[in-house]
Amino acid sequence: MSRWAMVIDLRRCIGCGSCTIACQVGNKLPIGMFWNLVTTVGPTGKYPTLSYYNMPRPCFHCANPPCVSCCPTGASSQRQDGIVLVDKNKCIGCKACVVACPYGARTLNRELGIVQKCTFCEHFIGKGKEPYCVSTCHQRARIFGDLDNTKSEVFRLVYEENAVQLMPELGTDPHCYYIFPHRGRQ
Amino acid sequence: MKNKHIWGWPIAGYLFLGGLGGGMVVVTAIADLFLGSPAVMLWGALAGAILIAFGSGLLIFELGRPFQFWRVFSRERAILTVGAWLLSLCIVIGIVYASFLLWHGLEGLRMAVAWVCLFIGMGVIIYTGIFLGTMKARPFWNGPALPVLFLISSLSTGIAAQSLLARFLDVGSSSTLANSESFLSVADIILLVLEIIVVLLYVLIMWTSTTQSASHAAATWLKGSKKLAFWGGLVGMGLIVPLVLYLLGNSVASLVASICVLIGGLILRFLVVYTDDRTLLPGEAEFLAKLPNDDEEFLHAWEEPDHEAE
Repeated sequence: MSRWAMVIDLRRCIGCGSCTIACQVGNKLPIGMFWNLVTTVGPTGKYPTLSYYNMPRPCFHCANPPCVSCCPTGASSQRQDGIVLVDKNKCIGCKACVVACPYGARTLNRELGIVQKCTFCEHFIGKGKEPYCVSTCHQRARIFGDLDNTKSEVFRLVYEENAVQLMPELGTDPHCYYIFPHRGRQ
Repeated sequence: MKNKHIWGWPIAGYLFLGGLGGGMVVVTAIADLFLGSPAVMLWGALAGAILIAFGSGLLIFELGRPFQFWRVFSRERAILTVGAWLLSLCIVIGIVYASFLLWHGLEGLRMAVAWVCLFIGMGVIIYTGIFLGTMKARPFWNGPALPVLFLISSLSTGIAAQSLLARFLDVGSSSTLANSESFLSVADIILLVLEIIVVLLYVLIMWTSTTQSASHAAATWLKGSKKLAFWGGLVGMGLIVPLVLYLLGNSVASLVASICVLIGGLILRFLVVYTDDRTLLPGEAEFLAKLPNDDEEFLHAWEEPDHEAE
């Protein structure tokens, strides 16, 4: 069985926003809808010890997704390979999952009246292609792969390079891992 | 674009009407089961059912795809699905209960229906608080406080509406109803005192929360942007003023008190729905601060009117 996961190396990300645009164009999102924001943290500190980093944030495809358990129609579901999807035929746009997601990954598509989010480009899986945001990243800051495969790059990064989850205390077990840059002397 | 709140006023309105309607059904059932109140009180069950139906209408109005609302009944394990069933059952059973105004003599059956009303009404009151309380993404809601607060507030608004209804039906001359009205005032006094304690404990303890967003949210109630609605609207007009008026005990004072309790219940629901603070991810606050205030502005920001004319 595979378990899809993403590692985002914040030491490499330069905050160009290519992944945001590639996602919007590839997935044909309406203008103003983001599945894949990049925010900037900082700059913090005082010259000459300034630092800042950029923070891309797709859906984390949690192992324990609060958005799935709260969905009253069964539109949000989790596949065997860990990917959390919204069924556009079943979603009624009640926004319970938007409230339940601790990471702000979900937004209402006003045109369709349903909630949507990053799908890890599930239509590419099994076809030897990577998600739009991964294949477009010229800094190779995003690594996508199978966490159950001990030979994969994501496996090595998660277990050997100290990649961390965001808000692990919530018990959601997000499957998007971050490698944070050194903060520098403050 | 800058999405201030996930849920808008219809959800706050629903939380108020659902709580109020459920409260009226429960209060009617309790009065009928344990206090032997006159049958005319059964109008409260009908009014409760109508208010719940109206609140459910607001819920459907808030949906992205309102005509697909029936899908909400399709999944058995979600709290909202249970809630949808409770709302529907409560509307039906409330109307059935009120129909005992028409036929007499079936005391045993009426008592059985009253018990069912009591449990389903309680479910309607509490499930919303449970749903919000389980949201670990929203630290200010997360925890056992909201179901308790909603329970007390719903019963208190239910009693207030019930005594307004009794006044409107104008059957105050019968001594049994006067008795039950004074009972309603005493019960509402107890509930108001409890609600003052619970709401203050809730906000003050959230203020000391280890989660920064919960503590910040509580600060907006206590001394920030929502301080007027909280201190003036909820605590002042919604709780302390009716408490004093009920204690005065005369007829006009308790009429005003009932109205104040209802307004306080509505303000509480708005305060809760509009305090949907989430712990922001790194850099998110700065990003949100840069966004324009609405979609139109965002979509047309890049357009130059002169350029279009050419």
